[in-house]
Amino acid sequence: MTASEILKMMPLIIVLATPLITMLIIALHRNHLTTMIVSVIGLVLAIIAIPYSKALDLTKIGELLIIDNYALFYFLLIFTATIAIIIPSYPYLEMRFKGNREEYYLLILTATLGSSVLAASTHFVSFFLGLEILSVSLYALISYLRQTNEGIEAGLKYLILAAVSSAFLVFGMALIYSQTGKMEFNALMQFFSNSSKLNLISIVGLVLMIVGFGFKLAVVPFHTWSPDVYEGAPAPVSAFIASVSKGGILALLFRFFSQYDVLNSKPLFLIFALLAVFSMFGGNFLALLQTNVKRLLAYSSIAHFGYILVAFLAGNNAQNFKGVEAATFYIVSYFITIIGAFIVVGIFSTREREAMSVSDYRGLYWRHPWLSVAFSAMLFSLAGIPLTAGFIGKYYVLASGIDNQLWTLVIILIVNSALGVYYYLRIVVEMFSQPEEAAETKHPSPSVGVMTGLILAVLTIALIWLGVYPTGVIGAIKISVMGL
Amino acid sequence: MTGFYIALIFFVTGMFLVAVTLLFSRLLQTKKPSPDKYLTYECGELPQGGAWIRFNNRFYIIALIFIIFDVEIVFMFPWAVVYGKIGLLAFVEMFIFIVVLLVGLAYVWANGDLQWVKPRPKLEHLPKAKGK
Repeated sequence: MTASEILKMMPLIIVLATPLITMLIIALHRNHLTTMIVSVIGLVLAIIAIPYSKALDLTKIGELLIIDNYALFYFLLIFTATIAIIIPSYPYLEMRFKGNREEYYLLILTATLGSSVLAASTHFVSFFLGLEILSVSLYALISYLRQTNEGIEAGLKYLILAAVSSAFLVFGMALIYSQTGKMEFNALMQFFSNSSKLNLISIVGLVLMIVGFGFKLAVVPFHTWSPDVYEGAPAPVSAFIASVSKGGILALLFRFFSQYDVLNSKPLFLIFALLAVFSMFGGNFLALLQTNVKRLLAYSSIAHFGYILVAFLAGNNAQNFKGVEAATFYIVSYFITIIGAFIVVGIFSTREREAMSVSDYRGLYWRHPWLSVAFSAMLFSLAGIPLTAGFIGKYYVLASGIDNQLWTLVIILIVNSALGVYYYLRIVVEMFSQPEEAAETKHPSPSVGVMTGLILAVLTIALIWLGVYPTGVIGAIKISVMGL
Repeated sequence: MTGFYIALIFFVTGMFLVAVTLLFSRLLQTKKPSPDKYLTYECGELPQGGAWIRFNNRFYIIALIFIIFDVEIVFMFPWAVVYGKIGLLAFVEMFIFIVVLLVGLAYVWANGDLQWVKPRPKLEHLPKAKGK
């Protein structure tokens, strides 16, 4: 490994070193605030290293990793999102957890590392290692509040289902490897593009891998774990699963199929289209029935990944990456929104329980005008109402679908957006309606820390800024997607 | 004939040989049971009761710490094989690897998990016992 390769990998190396240093600091002096600050500093350093890494010319690091503009873009997204999750975690843990709080940050950092390795991997080995680093950290993170039964239940469910889905994935990889003798994505896609060489085993392998992807992304036939896990996990961890963990896997999915013309391959197109349609309808219809905000956000996340799959279908290399571009923008806006929404849920939690029921938010506007405005902005963006990032994202996805004449999918997407508006607005209506007198005393008003408030403000402003002036981000995404 | 068939033949032959050996010993052996023969073999020591007891969960921590160094050795074997070819770089990489594991050890040590008799942890997050 040469010096320039090490420099190129600097963002990853810093994210790897941060948990180690944090661990040593915990060993020397256990302090919650110090741990949080050190992990934020580590992530900020990693972000600072990204432009330097971008300036270097080489992209491929050995056979396992590729650090091109696309990977660096996702690094930036993942690291920023992790910072936005870590800072509100501090008051949340202070309030809700009395054991050792410091290890939470170690686990979040290793999970971030796993997710960013996924964004940079071009090989089955790095893919699987990244995925396992991510999942193993998540097992512990989900049940971090171990005095609660829901936390343990959610962690156990995730452990079993993630292990099963990993088994599907690995078996798929093994079958593909047995037929191709290769593990590099590009070589594999060349093999799959050449239909004369395809046989049953390699197709079964690919389908098993899609099952694995489906589990991790929680798209519809494989979604059953996600509402329970979102509900039982601490609110910041739910935000992490919804954003960073899924984002890394999506980045890998786009890279894996980047050279493959999914749009014009009948069976694969059908599989992904069905996943997208089921997720959109399933997620939205199930969300309609929910009175629990965290479960509602889980179902809405299922629907959103259905939308993203439409964009994924609408094009990679053969279509000039228009679809990947749209999907990446959608992910950026989704990251901002879902993290913001879960931060609000975290702020409203009390020592005993999280603010999960919709009725907890009743009359919020009269007690916390700014907080409810921020939360409304997040919900509007999830619903895709103009002037928010969610609208531009959805518009972009639709445009990429229309470009490729995917009329059925586009119409289903529009119908589903209309369905979604109902349950997002129900929470907004609840927030702005008059509180009952008795409720005033029932919900003690939460205190919002300065840093948490700042993060929430930044997220809200970013949301509206992206909704009004998305050109800058779109340009950055265009450049990053180009070299895929 | 591909590799898998060879493996299959190997497997079947292996099973057959084991079965034949067991069958022969069954036919030839004499049966003289005595209580001593039915004792659990514990490296020559006399067993001190059944194995199905509740045992101290501190052993789990010891086992976890053992894993750190167990895995380290697994990685060191292939490293040692290619060490001559790669040279200094391999040395540096293994050094980093061991340092990473040592950080884990330091963490465990500082948390007092290496001590058998630990100070009672502060269990403030558990509900207080009634009547106190």
